[in-house]
Amino acid sequence: MGGLSYPAQKKIVLAFFLFVPLALLGMFTYYPAARLVYLSFTDWDGLGSGMSFLGFGNYKEVFTNPDLFGVFLHQIPYAIGGILQNIVAILFAVVLNSTLRGRNAFRVLLFIPYIMNGVAVAFMFQYVFDTTGGSLNALLGAIGLGSLQQSWLGNAAIVNWALAGVSVWRYLGYTMIIYLGALQSLPSDMYEAARIDGANRFQSLWHLTLPSLSRIIQLNMFLTLSGALAVFDLPFVLTKGGPAGASETFLLKTTETAFQFNNYGLASAMSVVLLLLTVLILLAQNAALGRKGRD
Amino acid sequence: MNRKWMLGAIAGVLAVSLAGCGGGEPKKDQPAASGGGEEKISGTITYLTNRTDLIGNVYDDYAKRFNEKYPDAHVEFEATIDYDKTAKMRLSSGDFPDVMNIPTIANTELPNYYAPLDDLGLTDKIRFPDYKSDGGVLYGMPAGVDVVGVVYNKQAFKKAGIDKVPTTLDEFYAASEKLKAAGIVPLASNFKDQWPVYPFAAETPVALSGNVDLANDRVKTDTPYTLDGPYGQSMNILRTMHQKGYLEADINSTNWEQSKKDVASGKFAMFYLGEWIIPQLISGGMASDDIGFFPFPYDNEAGSRNVVLSPASAAYGVNKNSEHLATAKAFVKWMIEESGADSDMLPILKDGKAQIAQMEEFDSYKPTYLEGKVDTAEALAIVNKAQIVKEAIVQDFVLADNPQDTFDKYNKLWAKAKAEVAK
Repeated sequence: MGGLSYPAQKKIVLAFFLFVPLALLGMFTYYPAARLVYLSFTDWDGLGSGMSFLGFGNYKEVFTNPDLFGVFLHQIPYAIGGILQNIVAILFAVVLNSTLRGRNAFRVLLFIPYIMNGVAVAFMFQYVFDTTGGSLNALLGAIGLGSLQQSWLGNAAIVNWALAGVSVWRYLGYTMIIYLGALQSLPSDMYEAARIDGANRFQSLWHLTLPSLSRIIQLNMFLTLSGALAVFDLPFVLTKGGPAGASETFLLKTTETAFQFNNYGLASAMSVVLLLLTVLILLAQNAALGRKGRD
Repeated sequence: MNRKWMLGAIAGVLAVSLAGCGGGEPKKDQPAASGGGEEKISGTITYLTNRTDLIGNVYDDYAKRFNEKYPDAHVEFEATIDYDKTAKMRLSSGDFPDVMNIPTIANTELPNYYAPLDDLGLTDKIRFPDYKSDGGVLYGMPAGVDVVGVVYNKQAFKKAGIDKVPTTLDEFYAASEKLKAAGIVPLASNFKDQWPVYPFAAETPVALSGNVDLANDRVKTDTPYTLDGPYGQSMNILRTMHQKGYLEADINSTNWEQSKKDVASGKFAMFYLGEWIIPQLISGGMASDDIGFFPFPYDNEAGSRNVVLSPASAAYGVNKNSEHLATAKAFVKWMIEESGADSDMLPILKDGKAQIAQMEEFDSYKPTYLEGKVDTAEALAIVNKAQIVKEAIVQDFVLADNPQDTFDKYNKLWAKAKAEVAK
């Protein structure tokens, strides 16, 4: 490389190092994504031959067919559960950030559900929610709340709340760990100053902690809400969308459309719509929370 | 509630799009001669299957026995979970093994991937030669035949004081009442899992009407589902069973694996499913002598019961670009005639003998066997367009306050999809 100038050498080395990751990124992220968008305009059936171009036909179908788009209503409990989950996670994080005896043990306890395999969690809750022999109904019976015993997964009005509850249980620890990390990076002199000024614990939580966490709250809310849009594994394992479709989710519908009914074009369009909705949520949330952060 | 789901979403998106990567037609034929009987049976072939449970035990034995018959040929077995999706992706990539179970693709696609199998000389000897064929040419050799009926625990029947299997619907309800009174759950519906109610969605309506073209005849009407028609009558049986408390206490909270143990122990008395459940019960530890099998008494008329036969879902296909075409075909023939791979179903060969002992009792009730028809391309297109899961109709019907609403809903879906497909 003797004849090349230093900047030229630098460029070659840069290109050399970047080639592999960029190629991988292009091959496994951008090409499939572009292909997905392309397929969403066709009626491809999942095998090679015969594909015709439908224009926006698939998208029209997604938005006008209440059986497809309407299932988002089932996901509202997950979104509400997600908001609750964030509130509780902040409280736990604040408590576990103080000098509490055995706090590490509590942190581990709360975090363990997240480490477990999602399908295993779902499978486990099948036994919790079982109507006749399930532990939840047994517990309710044992503490004299027999009247609350339910068909947790069989009642169309409850099933999504039951599933959302599982996901809160599962992701609470994860959300909490992120908050905890953020809390530990907050400078303690700020709190000292507040204490000297006479702020009580609640005031320092409300006026110091929460504003300092706003970026992290934003992040967690985004993760939570986009997660709520893309619920899949719990209903897939626990209810298969039942009873009578009451716990169908959009992603469940998408995989069904593609792999059961061989309608890959429509399924691609549904995936793109899900992607757009996620972006939309991000923008809306930035508009709402971001402004407040700047003030 | 988040990261995993995002990953799930991305994975879903990728799965849909990756399937698209393969896009093009499979590789064009190599000059390999097809079908020559004189071609030497040698080389190593691979068979792709969904039976992960047979790898390392039963299949080792098959490999050995196949090699004993054809000393120059070897067969390797490859099994994968999530079979249908994986198999389809491998098909669309053009890179698939010599022999495989054919995934759910339209029969018109078969010639693009699979070699004709008519030269095996089995076409006239098997049932369902049109199951995986296109234009009168057989591309997939069905592996076996399924029959639905009532599988019951004889001890449970005895305990409830039932000394003779029910032959009419009223007797069936009466037997259920006796079982219920004895503290036994009469019928394990496994309702929650959806698929186990399939006999009420497909086989029973055909048996009731005696019309094997029932499902395909749906394309002639905008209202295939009517309360007094075969679909309504069939689903109403399950609805009645539910309302009288003859099913699990909470049908939305059933557990498939547990139900097999409960039938074996006599806590539950019956399944209404295929014969394939019997070997599963036996391998779970239930004594074969305690298991009985009788035709489902779908109405109150006396006489022989219609029983619908259908091809078991697996069918062997031979890769038309296989380097060892003759060996692959010989393997398919061997699987059908000699392997014993149909031990948990009925044989596909018309003169074959069922290996399931309970078929003897079943046949003693002199059922009339009807060979079910394969879905026509048109019927399948409408079902896929309307996204109708047949078992979901049964679930809806059983749970609905007014079953007519369920049928109205599905008739509407059907009529709309039918109009779109006809366009």
